[in-house]
Amino acid sequence: MARMKFICDAERCIECNGCVTACKNEHDIPWGVNRRRVVTLNDGVVGAERSISVACMHCSDAPCMAVCPVNCFYKTEDGVVLHDKDLCIGCGYCFYACPFGAPQFPSAGAFGVRGKMDKCTFCAGGPEKDGSKAENEKYGRNRLSEGKLPACAEMCSTKALLAGDGDVLSDIYRERVMRRGRGGDLWGHATAYGRPDAKAAPATPAAPVAQPAPQKS
Amino acid sequence: MMKPINLLLVAGAFAALLSGCGETPQANVAKPGQSAAKEGDKPYQNDQFKGNREEWAKTLRSRADNQNEYKRVN
Repeated sequence: MARMKFICDAERCIECNGCVTACKNEHDIPWGVNRRRVVTLNDGVVGAERSISVACMHCSDAPCMAVCPVNCFYKTEDGVVLHDKDLCIGCGYCFYACPFGAPQFPSAGAFGVRGKMDKCTFCAGGPEKDGSKAENEKYGRNRLSEGKLPACAEMCSTKALLAGDGDVLSDIYRERVMRRGRGGDLWGHATAYGRPDAKAAPATPAAPVAQPAPQKS
Repeated sequence: MMKPINLLLVAGAFAALLSGCGETPQANVAKPGQSAAKEGDKPYQNDQFKGNREEWAKTLRSRADNQNEYKRVN
């Protein structure tokens, strides 16, 4: 097993929000918290509009882990970045550090007080006992210990969102790109899984299709 | 001369008052580069996989491979 990764194929995502709904439903996420959401780039530009499903990417060199003042983050042996809610103080540093806006903070009382951070767990629960009530209440369902992949990816109707072992995902994506002959850019992949010294070039959108000039009669 | 019970009561009260001066550490012991989180269970240490990491990885790998529709029979 290499390590767990997410891949979102922008050529396939149809912005149906099925992944968002699957995640919310699977983990009983409270109102106002979105562990996963769909972002549309170049909205309305013909031929250049792309949608991507974004959540915690479980980065190789996770910036949230580096900035947490109480060190509540940890990484499993499969590369899944998790955190301990019993230690989290809700300071929000991780939110500012994350390039994907993954950390979410539920409203915890009056005056907009922030609760403990909540984020995608790759459906791997947390540090509580696997499958326990405490784990389910704090982190949601632990599908990984049941031998299942994250609900968002398994629910994706066009298989734009892929999750699992990085080697398997690379094989699937390579085959896709070879067959369609385009769309090899993976948004956020270099940021999340690239080497720290590698400079990630921003993905350029495909050139917009030229609008036909209006016919003069 | 104080009675022994009174002496005990005074000593107890003195100890209780003194304990109020104590201060318990309230900060998390967070060392740079080291996670302070509890150690979670391994995902393969359960009744289904019985601690067999290979079996668990194989299950997940085949499940991930099923995401490739080019391998399905059309």
